[in-house]
Amino acid sequence: MTAALATPFTGIFISLLVYLLGMWLFKISKGFFLFTPLLVGVVLGIFILALWAKGIGSTTVEVYKKFFLPGGNIVFWFLNPATIAFAIPLYRRNDIFKKYWIDVVLTLFVGGFISLFGIHMVSKLFGLSKVSIAAMLPQAATTAVAMPIAKSIGGDPAVTAMVCIINAVIIYALAEFLIKFFKLKEISKVGLGLGLGTSGHTVGSAKAVQLGSIQGAMASVSVVIVALAMDILVPIYARLFL
Amino acid sequence: MKKDGKKETPILIQMGIFMAILFVAQLLSQLFPPSFAVPTPLIGMIILYILLATHIIKLEQVEKLGDSLIGLIAFLFVPSGIQLAGSLDLIKREGLQDVIVTIISTIILLVVITYVGSFFIKLHQKINNRKGDD
Repeated sequence: MTAALATPFTGIFISLLVYLLGMWLFKISKGFFLFTPLLVGVVLGIFILALWAKGIGSTTVEVYKKFFLPGGNIVFWFLNPATIAFAIPLYRRNDIFKKYWIDVVLTLFVGGFISLFGIHMVSKLFGLSKVSIAAMLPQAATTAVAMPIAKSIGGDPAVTAMVCIINAVIIYALAEFLIKFFKLKEISKVGLGLGLGTSGHTVGSAKAVQLGSIQGAMASVSVVIVALAMDILVPIYARLFL
Repeated sequence: MKKDGKKETPILIQMGIFMAILFVAQLLSQLFPPSFAVPTPLIGMIILYILLATHIIKLEQVEKLGDSLIGLIAFLFVPSGIQLAGSLDLIKREGLQDVIVTIISTIILLVVITYVGSFFIKLHQKINNRKGDD
């Protein structure tokens, strides 16, 4: 009976179930920030897998690989065309990109470098190992870019993958709160778009699209440019300061 | 999104465009060395942007599928999040510091990039005003 569950349907069903439960909780809690569908879905999904593992006397990782991953991979695959789609909000505000492209590139390189410094300092403050620090540095880039960078500077790519996922989940859950707390809405639409795309990757960009067309366009383009910026900056930073 | 007279491209054709771009993008992605990874979806996004900007592809030929996919992205990310179940051992080994540092780093990125961005935009506007154009 367990073998019958090791099909893609299981993972797809669990993904949908937990996300829909998240949407329902978000609705009945009138938008409580800790009940964003993504965060609820992830926590609930891991909880289900852990319970499942307990039930059959296996480990969570084992259950995840055997029962969730086949379906999870199928859902995950759709992130490919979804990422491409961000060219659309960018093109819709091509006027803004044409006007400010120099600013965008400068922001992501200069701001990216400052952030590297900040991330490095916080990592040191918490006493992370060198391997973990190296894994933290490239997190502004999307997972597929950040992992090989981390590896090339001696970091653990598995930690980097985890970090990039947490980035997205945190931004999706906390963006509204953080924007209010740091008064980011008031200072610049272009800046906020870049910030959301950099910190939350494509999920942050989706959030930015909801805020407005300028924010959405800037977040979309930042995902590409910050990936290139990290490709260039992180190895240099690592050579200088690690 | 389209409720005016413009004809909407059939969804199968929109899918065809997306897949053609991904197909080409994966070939281009392999040209980059592992030390300078540029993944397929990012190249695909650049290709679609260029095709739109050069009017080879029109907005209505991709926007219905594209907007739906963007609207779904939080859901599409659920399996990536659940992937953390596979990292539970890693978190146990490394301790919770990694998670805390990541959360702080996320906030650093959001705040720093937003402020640096607004700084450059304001600088840009000031220079333009002085020149008297724009």
